[in-house]
Amino acid sequence: MNDIGEFTLLLALATAVYGCVAYIMSARGNRIDLYLSADKTPFIVWACVMTSSICLWRAFLTDDFSLQYVWAYSNIELDTFYKVSSFWGGQKGSLLFWTLLLSTYMLVVYFQNRKKNLRVVPYAMAIMLVIVVFFLVLINFSTNPFERIPLPPEDGRGLNPLLQNYWMVIHPPTLYLGYVGFTVPFAFAVAALISKDLDDGWIRMTRKWTLISWFFLCMGNLFGASWAYVELGWGGYWAWDPVENAAFMPLLIATAYLHSVMIQEKKDMMKVWNMSLILLTFSMTIFGTFITRSGLIQSVHTFDEATLGYFFLGFLFVIITSCAALIISRLPLLKSANELDSFLSRESSFLFNNLLLLGIAFATFWGTIFPIISEAVRGVKITVGPPFYNQVNVPIGLALLALVGIGPVIAWRRATLSNLKKNFLKPLLAAMVGAMAMFPVIPLGSRAEIYTYATFVISIFVLSCILAEFYKGTVARMGLHEESVAGALSTMAWRNKRRYGGYIVHIGVVMIFAGIAGSQAYGTHTEKHLKLGESFEIRGYTIRYEKLVAIEATNIKTRIIAQLAVERDGKRYWTGHPEKEFYKGQNQPVSEVDVLSTWKEDLYMILADFREDESATIKVYVNPMVSWMWTGGWIIAFGAMVSMWPDRLEQRRRLDRIRKQEQLFLSPAQE
Amino acid sequence: MLAWLFISPISPAGAGALLQDLENALMCKCDDKCGKVLINCTCSTSDKTRGTFTKMLESGLTVEQIIKMQVDKYGETVLSAPTKFGFNLTAWVMPFVALVAGGFGVRKVLSSWVRKKDDSDSAESPNEEPEISEKYSKRLKDELDGIEL
Repeated sequence: MNDIGEFTLLLALATAVYGCVAYIMSARGNRIDLYLSADKTPFIVWACVMTSSICLWRAFLTDDFSLQYVWAYSNIELDTFYKVSSFWGGQKGSLLFWTLLLSTYMLVVYFQNRKKNLRVVPYAMAIMLVIVVFFLVLINFSTNPFERIPLPPEDGRGLNPLLQNYWMVIHPPTLYLGYVGFTVPFAFAVAALISKDLDDGWIRMTRKWTLISWFFLCMGNLFGASWAYVELGWGGYWAWDPVENAAFMPLLIATAYLHSVMIQEKKDMMKVWNMSLILLTFSMTIFGTFITRSGLIQSVHTFDEATLGYFFLGFLFVIITSCAALIISRLPLLKSANELDSFLSRESSFLFNNLLLLGIAFATFWGTIFPIISEAVRGVKITVGPPFYNQVNVPIGLALLALVGIGPVIAWRRATLSNLKKNFLKPLLAAMVGAMAMFPVIPLGSRAEIYTYATFVISIFVLSCILAEFYKGTVARMGLHEESVAGALSTMAWRNKRRYGGYIVHIGVVMIFAGIAGSQAYGTHTEKHLKLGESFEIRGYTIRYEKLVAIEATNIKTRIIAQLAVERDGKRYWTGHPEKEFYKGQNQPVSEVDVLSTWKEDLYMILADFREDESATIKVYVNPMVSWMWTGGWIIAFGAMVSMWPDRLEQRRRLDRIRKQEQLFLSPAQE
Repeated sequence: MLAWLFISPISPAGAGALLQDLENALMCKCDDKCGKVLINCTCSTSDKTRGTFTKMLESGLTVEQIIKMQVDKYGETVLSAPTKFGFNLTAWVMPFVALVAGGFGVRKVLSSWVRKKDDSDSAESPNEEPEISEKYSKRLKDELDGIEL
């Protein structure tokens, strides 16, 4: 089977190279024979990569330690669940997994579009195949997951204990689905540039792909935060690690693109800008893989065998220079009638939204690469950690939050004074009332607390703006159609999925902002060394240390579990079981925290240390409003689903458009 | 208010904040090179470091003195953020310079677009008398304000 896996990888490479050349030649020379031939390659490439992936999964599931990769990331005792996820636990497998997702996306694009726009689609397929070729070259000739060990050992080294968490099965694939997904709009954008088919056709063809990729990237980031929260045991969820930044930057740029593309769709403006944004988003996804695979920037996520940095850097250079050259050469065709009625308009608010999103992306990028710049200039590799990002990004983030409320409500074209008054007076009043109500009860002793207060006030303003939009629409519908509140609200949202889905996403964003602000400013923690039966208090909770239990979970894993009774007002409220897991052959034990999560706050418990006399060091955090973030994430997911849901009305409009175009091209003779 | 927030010094809230300030300001220097800020690190080295810092604070050393001692021992890499002087200042300033430059850029682009629109409007209707009365013009404007495109 391993031979088959290796062979199919080579076959996939050869087919992808052929497909790429054939697609380009068919498009350039109008050769239908070549097109029909090339048209089979996406499926063959996908089948080959899938076969190869199945072979690797089989090797993991059957403990085939003759493969160096399986030996390095699995062992006999590993749960089947984690044997499946070990596939992407290391560099070699993660590249194969990336290629599998990419070829799967390519196959779906192929089935969706093969009979549409024959000027753009062949080039788009060729671009995607070029990217597949890059990854297949790396897999075949540099990091082959089917590399053998001449004398196979009896057992493997095992998967890093930190990766033995259920989020390992969810977070990397979600993030990869987002990363890889942006290949599709990127490929169509480049194809539009090459074919000079530069109307908004490529945007319409890839709108859903962009939304889906954005959704996965957003969820991937949130899942990563959630994983860090429950697994790393330091009471936080985001450490501004370079690899976290690498996943965050494309999300920001893609968000900017999702907003500015609306202006192109509505007013046929900002073509160069949108083209640049999607190219930048894709470049950032490659930059992320460069960081994890180069070892140039110190990160907790870096793969053990980070040796591919220069390949990715070279690839990034080729992408950026060739795309920039393409855009410059097509500038005359990308010219649009950029006209604006007024400064005070939704168009300009979207431009400022883009500015702030890119501002945060730039600050994050700058902080990520500054250690390299510092080393090059001064010979000192300094560290750029959370204090930098928090100080720089938080003020920009607050301005962005305010625009989340202003942008969708301000009128297109020109906002008049009466329009502004109508849309913003009540939300502003609500924010002022909220500010006054919170002022006496919220502490304002530190910078973090003042920021948090500002966040809460702006959040009230934004939520009021959004809810007012729902209210106005519902009332109008109820008056016109005599519907109930629920009926009018649901019909209104359903008939205008994109708009109201977007509003729901914004509600989720507000909740995430509020959750981050609350948890950063009002959290507290304490650490106590306790003997059995001793207790301590934190924020009204009494934590009583009851017992310590040792369990031999498997031959290689021992669990030490502390039992902690949580009391409130003299009554037992909950029982926590934080633990430490010891893995044979690993230097550091892994903390498994226990969290009591409520709407108000999280009680987060860690077993920091223990001694032979059964005394233990217990660390407890009280993190307010963390669950707001996760709830915000699910609201974003729901809103994105609503936005992405197929729209019959939109399909009908598209058909009408195609019909009109066909009529335009029908000559009198044909008629 | 935001500008004031940015320039104001970090002010700790509550007791035990000195150790937290140190944990925020310094990186973990374990043998594994975990690359984590001390406050985010859970390895045994970080626990020992915390213990050492607690003793140092109890002995009367200030946060600044302890940070200086750590920088002398490990170099600048032990700091979790760049200092705010010399070349490192560029790390702090650049994002805001870029943002302000971008803001001016956006403003310039917007004004050129608005100007273009004004020019094209005046070219389309040279010296024409308005055909609709003030009353209808106002009504149209009000209704357009209410329309969501």
